[in-house]
Amino acid sequence: MNAPVASDLAELSLTEAADAFARGEVKAEALVRACLARIDAHDSKINAVIRLDREAALETAVAMDKARAAGVRLGPLAGVPMMHKDMYYRAGKVSTCGSKIRRDFVPEVTATVLQRLDASGAIDMGTLNMAEFAQNPTGHNAHFGDCHNPWSLAYCTGGSSSGSGAGVAARFFYAALGSDTGGSIRLPATICGVTGLKGTQTRVSRHGVMPLSFSCDNVGPLVRTARDAARFFTATAGQDPKDPTSSDEPVPDYEEALTGDLRGLSIAVCETYFFDGADAPVVAAFEAALETLKARGARISRIAAPSLAAVNAYTAIISRVEGAAIHANWMREHAADYAVHLSARLFGGYAFPAHYYVEALSRRGPLLRQFVAEALTGHDLVATPTLRTRVPSLAETDVDADPANWSRFMAVSANTRPFNYLGLPAISVPCGFDDRGLPIGLQLAGRPFAEPTALRAADAYQRETDWHRRSPALAG
Amino acid sequence: MEPELVVPTMEAIRRWSGVAVPNAAARQGLADMVGIIAEVEKVRAAMVFEDEPSSFEAALRDLKEPAR
Repeated sequence: MNAPVASDLAELSLTEAADAFARGEVKAEALVRACLARIDAHDSKINAVIRLDREAALETAVAMDKARAAGVRLGPLAGVPMMHKDMYYRAGKVSTCGSKIRRDFVPEVTATVLQRLDASGAIDMGTLNMAEFAQNPTGHNAHFGDCHNPWSLAYCTGGSSSGSGAGVAARFFYAALGSDTGGSIRLPATICGVTGLKGTQTRVSRHGVMPLSFSCDNVGPLVRTARDAARFFTATAGQDPKDPTSSDEPVPDYEEALTGDLRGLSIAVCETYFFDGADAPVVAAFEAALETLKARGARISRIAAPSLAAVNAYTAIISRVEGAAIHANWMREHAADYAVHLSARLFGGYAFPAHYYVEALSRRGPLLRQFVAEALTGHDLVATPTLRTRVPSLAETDVDADPANWSRFMAVSANTRPFNYLGLPAISVPCGFDDRGLPIGLQLAGRPFAEPTALRAADAYQRETDWHRRSPALAG
Repeated sequence: MEPELVVPTMEAIRRWSGVAVPNAAARQGLADMVGIIAEVEKVRAAMVFEDEPSSFEAALRDLKEPAR
């Protein structure tokens, strides 16, 4: 491989950048400067960044370059600039959670996932815009300003990890942590045209991460490629004594699963639910993606979708009750400091009878068994569009400006939410563009701890397509 | 017209949680609870005596992808 020239650097994927650094073909300082140049040129329009630690990132990069030159053994993400959703705590640094209420909050702990990224050599350049307290699927933010889609600024980015999706798409950095409670990694991934992975519930530690709905919260990456996601996940997944809910399942090297070979792999397409009200360009791109997977050796089966009525009813109860509980003190004393739509949503959470919350948690196991029996027995993966419709605009999903937008707003997460209640791993990869030039995403979900299979299929798909390579033409 | 559950629900929330209705949108949100209650009603009979929350972690372990 030829050494990348400076103007190309921001276009590299995470693994390309990490491998080029490891081979001595590029300096970490050059990678950081390439990212900073993109942020300086374009973030005034995108509004992805909340805090940029410019000098600290450059100092870390220079130190890393010296270490590499001295022959020090560095980690698998060494030299790679990243930024993260502003809800991952780093001791001594402000973590706003996208809110007015926590605008000056300084945590005393550092999130385990940040510690693992640090240990892998990643360079943390700062924090990113997000939905207030990660509580909306569109990326609107009344306190830090809405984040804008790099492909067309009038359109939403998806949320709640808005800055993570927009920033990876705009080539501001090579990877970003998002969080996913109802689709908040996969939605900005699909809407911004990047790759996002939500693991099996319990796969990645939540210690030091702002909670939203603890039963369904997940930590994961937004990146350019499935291979990036695999490397990122290998570095961050695994049991953590500080998060007693984290799984003790062994963590494989996820990159080893990326063989490109899908022979023998069976993918189920649920013909109902996930396509209710779907837009034609989305269905066309999805069907074309299936043909590509088939050409790589996968077998595609059409099945009737298991009923998700109970899943959706219980999801609504868990997310609203858990959110209401953790926000109760602020709802009593600072309700006016929330965006209108957020305090309105939290308020309803206090109305649910407690026994329904217990029922919602208790039915989770049986419903997971039922879904696996009906959709994933005889099949390795379920494929769906990540978002059923074309990307909505910021205006048509702004519920604070017009409550009539509420149904459009909530519909955004219809295809992602069920996999949070079910706890199943799911990845979203770009699979085309609609007639307005906005991205479309393919979602692949598997059995518990089937991240290697989902990544293998996503990577094989990306070997045949270049949707993930395309970058938005940002003026100025 | 506002469903009749709205005012008593607001009062119950205030009494149990000490949280006052923050805005008109929240009051409208309570009106929408009628639909959520109907959704829950449809699945009400599914719960059985032995169901309990830890069955989820057990299911994750039991259903994991077989080794290849």
